Amino acid sequence: MGKRKVGALEKVDADLSNLQYKVRRDPASYRDDFQNQYSQYESFRELFMQNPSITEDIGMVSFRDLIDFVAHVADCYPDITARFPEDLMQILSHHHEEVEMELRDKMVGSLVLLRNKDIIDSSTLLNTLFPILVSTPSKSLRALLFTKILSDLRSSNSKATNHKLNRTIQTVLYNLLTSDRESQKGIWAVKITRELWKRQIWADAKAVEIMKEASLAENEKVITGGVRFFLGGDKEREEAADESSDDDENIDMSKLRHQANINKKTKKKEKELRKAAATVKRKEKKKNAPHPLNFSALHLLHDPQGFAETLFSRHVQNAKSKLSLDSKLLVLQLVSRLVGLHKLTVISLYSYFLKYLTPRQASVTSFLACLAQSTHSLVPPDVLEPLIQKIANEFVSEAAAAEVAAAGLNSIREICVRQPLAMNDTLLQDLVMYRKSKDKGVMMAAKGLLSLYREVGAELLKKRDRGKDATIGLRSGEIKERRFGEEEAGEIEGIELLEKWKEEERRKKREEEGLPPDAPTDEEEDEAEDWKNWDIESDDTDSSGGWINVESDGEDINISDSEDERERPAKKAKLASETPGPEAGEKENRSKSKEPEAKKISKLATTRILTPADLAKLQELRLASSVVSSMPSNKRRQALAARHADDPLTAAEIEAPGLLGKKTTKEEKIAMAKKEKEEHHQSTTAKKKEKKAGEGKSTTNKEKARKKNFLMTLGKAKGKQKRSLVDVRKTLRGHIDRQKRGGKRGNRG
Amino acid sequence: MGGSSAKRKKEKKKDFQKPKLKVGKAKPKAANFTDTSFKAKSIVLTQQSLSANAPSVVAQCSHHLSMLAHKSDSQRRDSLAYLTTAITNTPAGAPLPQPTSIILPAVQRLILDGSNAVRQQLLKLLQSLPKNDIASYSDQLLLHTRAGMTHIATEIRTFALDVLEWLLGVAGDEVVSGVGGWVKMLKCFIGLLGWQNETSGKWSAPKSFGKSGGDAKIMVKQMNALAAFLRAGLVPSQTEEPIDVGGTTFPLWQCEHHMVSERSNTFVHLNLFGAPRDEEAEMYEDREDRQRVFHDKAEAAIVAGLDQVTKGGGELGRAAAQLRKVVREGMSDFRSD
Repeated sequence: MGKRKVGALEKVDADLSNLQYKVRRDPASYRDDFQNQYSQYESFRELFMQNPSITEDIGMVSFRDLIDFVAHVADCYPDITARFPEDLMQILSHHHEEVEMELRDKMVGSLVLLRNKDIIDSSTLLNTLFPILVSTPSKSLRALLFTKILSDLRSSNSKATNHKLNRTIQTVLYNLLTSDRESQKGIWAVKITRELWKRQIWADAKAVEIMKEASLAENEKVITGGVRFFLGGDKEREEAADESSDDDENIDMSKLRHQANINKKTKKKEKELRKAAATVKRKEKKKNAPHPLNFSALHLLHDPQGFAETLFSRHVQNAKSKLSLDSKLLVLQLVSRLVGLHKLTVISLYSYFLKYLTPRQASVTSFLACLAQSTHSLVPPDVLEPLIQKIANEFVSEAAAAEVAAAGLNSIREICVRQPLAMNDTLLQDLVMYRKSKDKGVMMAAKGLLSLYREVGAELLKKRDRGKDATIGLRSGEIKERRFGEEEAGEIEGIELLEKWKEEERRKKREEEGLPPDAPTDEEEDEAEDWKNWDIESDDTDSSGGWINVESDGEDINISDSEDERERPAKKAKLASETPGPEAGEKENRSKSKEPEAKKISKLATTRILTPADLAKLQELRLASSVVSSMPSNKRRQALAARHADDPLTAAEIEAPGLLGKKTTKEEKIAMAKKEKEEHHQSTTAKKKEKKAGEGKSTTNKEKARKKNFLMTLGKAKGKQKRSLVDVRKTLRGHIDRQKRGGKRGNRG
Repeated sequence: MGGSSAKRKKEKKKDFQKPKLKVGKAKPKAANFTDTSFKAKSIVLTQQSLSANAPSVVAQCSHHLSMLAHKSDSQRRDSLAYLTTAITNTPAGAPLPQPTSIILPAVQRLILDGSNAVRQQLLKLLQSLPKNDIASYSDQLLLHTRAGMTHIATEIRTFALDVLEWLLGVAGDEVVSGVGGWVKMLKCFIGLLGWQNETSGKWSAPKSFGKSGGDAKIMVKQMNALAAFLRAGLVPSQTEEPIDVGGTTFPLWQCEHHMVSERSNTFVHLNLFGAPRDEEAEMYEDREDRQRVFHDKAEAAIVAGLDQVTKGGGELGRAAAQLRKVVREGMSDFRSD
């Protein structure tokens, strides 16, 4: 629609924006005018409905402007415009394909405007827009609708979660996916859900359920969309959260206040300062707020076993499935991830891998990673054994390339980390021999396997390969082979250290007070102390830490009362010394017993609530017993522990040792060297200056003088030469005077 | 830059050396020669019209019809003028250069055109069209006219009244009995005259937005148009067709009712394919229906408005008296149940 140039005279008359302004000011007075415009709109609408694809500009005021006008003032005349939203919705949903583009976009915008004015509610709007989004062939309209739908969902969830709206939309999306599994329309459900998940607006099981349905769809795009969500959605969410907390991170309030003091005071600056203060306050609040519980999508799944089984049988194992290798690999990754994470049993999965474990297979490292990922301690070893044998035969041989052998060894190691029982001694001893390989990658991978089995199954190794620790451990019976399905009893690492430390502390304190160090104190007092030192930083009982004191009984309050504290323990101690309670006696026994401490299960964690201060001390003590932690095997364990259980195993990790021996080419070396030296040279003064400017500090007077335009300084410089004697004397006097005073303003401040 | 060294001198000289011409050889190309030859698979020469004789009137008319959407005012006006002369120049009985069914849809949206000259020319064109053809397009025309009557620009509003008067003259019956022709038009008129019952309470009516100059003149015009409209809708036409009693078609009686209708879209009142109509959009085909609706919806407002205007006297008063006469005449035989 080419815009016709509007003459000045026409403008004065046909000025809808002017009328709009006046209507907003005084709706009652301009009711007649609005009525006229509305009937104008109606006649245009009738004209339009006779031929919706009409494109030419009709007259001076086009239909588009009228719609815009009516939408803007609709809230002033709800009785006249009662049918307006319905009309728009009807036109959009019936004629969105043929309507001219600008008019269509205007109608969408007007509907959103009406929603923002609360004339229609969110669910009506979304129920109108969503079917169009799904069905329209126009790309630009889809983009527009997508943003509008998202922003409406965001804004209606901004103050508080709008559960009702969310539920209806989620149901709509779910139905979209389940109604027609083969259509590509489901991609919109995936897109919307992923975006809202990323923004933490939807973080519930229902959203995950939608994605589950998406990954079980029949359309490849929808499937990969759903699968990708499970594989990367949580990471994306975390990154988005980090980003939002990072932006305009450091507002220096004191600096801003200082600047406001010095600079010219304007309303704008005042407003800015207030805004900054509000931001800082909000940020502070946010920092203190408890971390929102955001479970990962993989944990929110209902029935992961069923999901993994259907995924595998429908998309991977099914010969009829038409997925490309890449998408199939994605699905396989998700299946293996689910199996590994939830310790599921999908036995047919392992035999499926057998076919793909050859070095010539495309993206075989991904298959290897998937296999390792899907292994866990509850997988029967006899299922894994042929797989390992095949990997060893196909990948690890003298004839194979070094990278191939390294990848094979590494993948075997990754499998055996998760299920050590899958290995037999002859194969292991064979594979360990590769630590003598000339290639660094192969050597490192073999060493990794060796050191793994020194820890988890030393008896499979030859005697001379076992190493000192393992040999001693085997001889003393300390290291035992873990049987299939056996689980380690859970404990808090280093809890016995904490208990010991607490005991010592108590003794010391009692010695200071002049009491027998071994006599037991009452538990209540101890606890009171603990509660007092709840937080690590808080050294007084002030409740500034954000923890809320819950007062339960009068007695408890008495205990924490500082007046009583001096006398009570003494009295109690007397009582206790006369009749040592069973509890105390047990404690004494424990400290004096000569049994190895590790055997005994500490009761500390089961009888007490560990305060944050306790936990901090525990960490400190763990570090202090560094004899153990400095050992390489322990370091490795720590590194493994640092990796989150939810993190996936990637093909890159499988390939990593293969890259160790690789030599870089000259070009790569040059590129690497260049990358480091990217920063341009700068003199120290320039750096200093930049630093100063960055800190917002001003320049010195000298600097200013140097920078001053020389034409401005000319007069003064010239005059200096031709001053009269009186003037010279005046300046000299002035100089002496100023020196005596100590500067122009003097020392008075 | 001195150019003193022998080497420089030699270099400089080299630029101006004359190439030696040789017999039987092509002339050497200059240093700044550009090769402008090119290769192409085919060469297409664009031509203007090859026909020697002038384009026919039909072709010219269709060209000018397409020019009606031109961005220049004068172009639009000229095209309209051309079409007008083409229509008036066709001898009676001969078909128009383009049928009315093509001309009218292209032309009617110019009722809302911003330029006065275009609009005036449009009226001339409309008046030149054969009257019998208009009836079938009255619906569309009426829609555009109504859009014009409520237009924000006063000039277009007054112009639309001219169009309405013409339309009533040409196809009065079709206008008042068309889809939404009666109630919507009445509402539109009441809105224009500012005679709504709801808002004109105790407070003085606010002045209308937009240009207010010549308010009285416009109002007179509006009232005249309303009078014409009501006359078409309410007053029974005096010239009743003589009933053919004797019958040239003797054995058949009232055969004209059984013949195929001359008009297009005969069954429009059944509304077989359109959206369901509400009271406003309904067709009111008999006079009694129209009288009833007029009584229910508009009469009170119009009478009250007329009372106010008549008090003012002058030209307005005269127009109001005319209107009152029409209303009385039209409603004289109406009895509300």
